Amino acid sequence: MINDKHLTLPVTELQRFCMHDGPGIRTVVFFKGCPLRCVWCHNPETQNSHGEMLYYPERCISCGGCMSVCSHKAQNVTETHVFDRSLCAACGLCAEVCPTEAMMPAVKDMTLESILSAVVRDRSFFGEDGGVTLSGGEPMMHPEGALRLLSACKEAGLHTAIETSGEFSRMLIPSLIQLADLLLWDVKDTNNERHRQYTGVPNLRILDNLRLADRLGGRTRLRCIVVEGVNTDDAHWDSVAALYGELNCCEGVELLPYHAYGGSKMLPLGLSDNGRKDWIPTDERLNNIKKRLRERGVTVIDGSR
Amino acid sequence: MEFYTVSKDPRPVRLSETTRIFAYDSLEHHAYGLAAMKTPAVTMDHIENFTALSPLEQERLILAEIAEKAPTRLIQGERLCGAATLGLAISHVIPATYAGNVVFPSISHLTVDFGCVLTEGLCGIRKRVEASLEAHKGSDREAFLINCMTALDAFETWHGRYVDALEHHADAVARDGVLPPCPAFEVTLQNLRRVPLQPATTFHEAVQSLWMAFAFVRLMGNWPGIGRLDVLLGDYLERDLQNGILTLEEAREILAHFFIKGCEWVRGGDQGSGDAQHYQNIVLGGIDEQGRDVTNTVTYLVLDILEELPIGDFPTTIRVNAHTDEKLLRRVAEVMRHGGGVLAIYNEDLVLKAMTGYGYALDEARRFANDGCWEVQVPGKTNFSYCPFDGLGILQHTTLRDYAEDVDYASFDSLFEAYLRDLGAVVESICRGRLGCFSVMDADNGIYTWHPTLPCTVVSLFEGGCIEKGLSYHEGGPVYHVLSPHIGGLADTVNSLYAIQKLVFDDKRLTFAELMTVLRSNWEGYEPLRQFALNKYAYYGNDNPECDRIAAALLSGFADACARYDGLSPYKFPAGVSTFGRQLEWAPHRLAAPHGRKQGEVLAANASPTPGTDREGATAMIRSYATADLSRMVTGAALDCKLLPSSVAGEDGLNALVSLMRGFVAEGGFFLQPDVADAKILRDAQEHPENYQTLSVRVSGWNARFVTLCREWQDMVIGQNEG
Repeated sequence: MINDKHLTLPVTELQRFCMHDGPGIRTVVFFKGCPLRCVWCHNPETQNSHGEMLYYPERCISCGGCMSVCSHKAQNVTETHVFDRSLCAACGLCAEVCPTEAMMPAVKDMTLESILSAVVRDRSFFGEDGGVTLSGGEPMMHPEGALRLLSACKEAGLHTAIETSGEFSRMLIPSLIQLADLLLWDVKDTNNERHRQYTGVPNLRILDNLRLADRLGGRTRLRCIVVEGVNTDDAHWDSVAALYGELNCCEGVELLPYHAYGGSKMLPLGLSDNGRKDWIPTDERLNNIKKRLRERGVTVIDGSR
Repeated sequence: MEFYTVSKDPRPVRLSETTRIFAYDSLEHHAYGLAAMKTPAVTMDHIENFTALSPLEQERLILAEIAEKAPTRLIQGERLCGAATLGLAISHVIPATYAGNVVFPSISHLTVDFGCVLTEGLCGIRKRVEASLEAHKGSDREAFLINCMTALDAFETWHGRYVDALEHHADAVARDGVLPPCPAFEVTLQNLRRVPLQPATTFHEAVQSLWMAFAFVRLMGNWPGIGRLDVLLGDYLERDLQNGILTLEEAREILAHFFIKGCEWVRGGDQGSGDAQHYQNIVLGGIDEQGRDVTNTVTYLVLDILEELPIGDFPTTIRVNAHTDEKLLRRVAEVMRHGGGVLAIYNEDLVLKAMTGYGYALDEARRFANDGCWEVQVPGKTNFSYCPFDGLGILQHTTLRDYAEDVDYASFDSLFEAYLRDLGAVVESICRGRLGCFSVMDADNGIYTWHPTLPCTVVSLFEGGCIEKGLSYHEGGPVYHVLSPHIGGLADTVNSLYAIQKLVFDDKRLTFAELMTVLRSNWEGYEPLRQFALNKYAYYGNDNPECDRIAAALLSGFADACARYDGLSPYKFPAGVSTFGRQLEWAPHRLAAPHGRKQGEVLAANASPTPGTDREGATAMIRSYATADLSRMVTGAALDCKLLPSSVAGEDGLNALVSLMRGFVAEGGFFLQPDVADAKILRDAQEHPENYQTLSVRVSGWNARFVTLCREWQDMVIGQNEG
């Protein structure tokens, strides 16, 4: 039971029928807010904690609906539509009237109850493997809500997983591993200097937390992004293998090849596309990394993304 | 040589290179269908006073003529023989002409009882015909039974010509070495010395007997489904494996030839809907009359073959229930991932609930197969047809009178009631039409006199009841008579009603009269409102209970309307949902729709959502669809489910596909046609057909080689994939 009906969580998306965010069919709840600023982020709309509007000018038909409801003068339609983000308070009124979904709020505050009732709808499809995955952003940016949601999902008999950057207070780990059946732990780079350079934070706490979670019996899958030319050196993957070797409760390592799609998602936020085609690893590269990991005793989980 | 797959992983190789080449050549080069078109039909022009003969006398002569004159076809290396070689059969008629005109139409939408050929042989069937002749001596049923004898004679004549051809080949090899020796022919000749005249004793004989019976029925122009292939062949295989006279590998080769021979009408005729739509459906798995799981080695061999060879001509459906073995479902998922849409699933639990709820005895229901598409029936005992109509057309043209100015409804309920009334009138005209097939002698005792129809003796031979009663397939012979009214345009009718409910009654964005004006104008000048209607409501397919309950109420009302005519005659009128691609032909007649659609758009297929409206993914789509009590759609309601190759890749993808099927069963779905395809790939195939000769897609109850679809059908399939 969820007692606190007023506790809300900032959800960017509730995505059903996900096949690659943990085992089986899963419903993934994406939260807004992240302590990392990975340059390759493929969900950039989840980075900032504050509300913001997504604007898709290609959908706009300049009907002027937004202008008529905006009290901040952020919307202007004369010949064509101009959206002035600097004046926008992200109140979301424009999105309510926009018929083409050219204006969309990046986040919706949802009560735990409403999230839970949405998640259980796919129960028939979860089977023994599937369930719910909390993702983001960093779900543990909202520790109280995230843990309560996990707890409620468990009570409802669902398999629970969380996709985490690992960058959160170690105090939370004992409760987290009680409530999450599987931790999808991002290991973006074992090279601390590069980690800081590309994500904005060092990896020390992330890896310490991982080890602690493992010691306490938390089941993990390491999720490793592969960015061509950035973290494709053997040293990093050998360290991943070594890390895997240290862990007792790790199911395996899953490779997430970088794709440039996240770059295109910068545009609706009013930022420029920072996608880099040269960062996309080839199949050959991925296979070589998998082979190298396997040679070092790592179970490679072939999600085939 | 490699066969096309949408998966990153290649198709496995289990078959011999010879068989794989035979498959490749049969799909790519032989173009048997084109060869058949060279001799489209036999002619009856040499028969004096042909037109003066009775239809049964004409049929008698035609059967004999086809059996004697149809070209025989032997392909070096084939392990089964017999072929439906007359081209007009590919156009669904009996391939015989008189004075340039086709004489008789033929029969489809049924699965005949091929099992009796395997277990009794033609000689056993002949004995039954003789007994019935004796019983009906002197009655008006004699003429039909004489034609049954003629049909059996024709089968034996045709069979004899293959024996002769094979003997001739063997002689020619032995005599002068002109022809290359063919060990496969030698085995076939041995098999033909027993089957199909006698009951089959081995797996190879059984496959040969089944193929020859199937080919004969098709030679005579009919398009039967195959039915439960693993039930038909399973025992023969188990026995041979136990006795050590056959290996599993050998059995797979033999069965593969059955599938390869099934491509024999490839590229014959000119159909927009693809060259593989001949209703040769197969059903696998599930339980038998006693409730025991029938899954056997043949089930898995079929899956092996479909995984290796991209043959789409035999659309295959697996009966899945809550207890289906995980191993079987995983194999099914593995095959599905290669694309082609060749595998579909029935929710057996729901089908049985539907059939028994409708009045079929449980053991009869458990025997279910389909009619050659996916409408369920008791095979070998059912006279089946369906009558499709456009449910959206009823709403637009009748209930809303083409959006006339004075159309007004005060509430959503009054509109919905009016729609159900108009729908009921259409159902009534469909059902009443069929009541004219007979005159009633004694309704209380179920005695009817059927009006004579055109002869259809060949399928009648294999339909339980016909021989015994001395009545043909269309004249009261079979045990069951079914005419299933099929509603089409379901999603768009539901979405139209829901949009009206929201726009007019709930959100009060405009009045009913204003909406009629907007729709009459085809949304011209109302683009923001159209966009609002398109984007702001969660339509059928998104697990929105508010919308889905309209679908549930509509189908329930439809089933009630059909039920009113049951019990008035031998005919039953079970409901069903389908379009089978008719959304294309309906499009030009459709007006603008309240859910933001413009006049003439190609809208939803079968019981699937309107293209572009399902935003929540497959699970939400299935829940929307299964909100209705689909057990009242007794002949079926098909849901198309397009999946991207990437989303079902890897171990996770495989597990997810299995979970999707389990969820479909748990939610109460009826029939799921998943297709793993990628719109991008299909577009490339449109531009470069030469690279995609063996790419097959699920169209609607059947598969087609994508490149053989006409542009319009290709666009429709792509549209569904872009969803």
